[in-house]
Amino acid sequence: MAPLSTVSRALARSAASASVRLPVRAMSSTPALRDHAAASSTYESPFKGEPKTTKVPNFSKYMAKNGGSANAVFSYFMVGTLGAISAAGAKSTIQQFLVNMSASADVLAMAKVEVDLNAIPEGKNVIIKWRGKPVFIRHRTQAEIEEANSVNVASLRDPQSDEERVKKPEWLVMLGVCTHLGCVPIGEAGDFGGWFCPCHGSHYDISGRIRKGPAPLNLEIPQYEFPEEGKLVVG
Amino acid sequence: MVAKTLYDAFFRRNSVMLGVVFAGAFAFELGYDNMMNRIWDNINRGRQWKDIRHKYVQGGDDEE
Repeated sequence: MAPLSTVSRALARSAASASVRLPVRAMSSTPALRDHAAASSTYESPFKGEPKTTKVPNFSKYMAKNGGSANAVFSYFMVGTLGAISAAGAKSTIQQFLVNMSASADVLAMAKVEVDLNAIPEGKNVIIKWRGKPVFIRHRTQAEIEEANSVNVASLRDPQSDEERVKKPEWLVMLGVCTHLGCVPIGEAGDFGGWFCPCHGSHYDISGRIRKGPAPLNLEIPQYEFPEEGKLVVG
Repeated sequence: MVAKTLYDAFFRRNSVMLGVVFAGAFAFELGYDNMMNRIWDNINRGRQWKDIRHKYVQGGDDEE
């Protein structure tokens, strides 16, 4: 009924302002269901006696009793809490996806590392990381190979000939962990032209054999192979 | 008065509110993860490696 009465009221208002007083029914396309008899006979404005039509109703019944700030704080607190929980959840979701995609510990424990040997010039050391440990790769010169072979094996603390320690004489591959207490030796240093452990002064020769200092064993040789020319796979 | 103080401290500037929200998210995540891990460990007490490690591994943490 509301739209209908609105229309009839608007019509009634325009009729009231018009100089020619016509029956409302005559102008309305919709039939006036309610009090058409009264409208057709006499008309009285519903705003009669009101000084203004823009009078604001009294909302005091609905207003906060204790001022607005407590309600504002509550609203903002709820918004902020929801935001914080959402942010934590979003971060956790993304993080779990990324963790899920990264390699697991058992995969990493069996990891192999492929090295391009063409990038290593003769007489240079390269250190790569393999299963969390450094691996030394040295492209030895012919003079260094001869020097490694010229050592009297019987005089060594951990007797090993150079052939036992390398698969190809020009490529020396070994774990860069000092056999004494696990420091990482420094390349191209020490009294024997090989590696020198700065922690307690162990000297290794150009084949990674212990020659002087407290270390009991030669530097360890990992499993490795040359699947093709210029490629080394450690592991 | 408490409400006014809180409002002025946290919500008057949007940047401050955003900062508080992210700091709160960080703290919430820490606390929530801790609590959930504690509940998990409590339910699975005696069944996890860290509970039975001492039966199989002597000595301290062997890193090498």
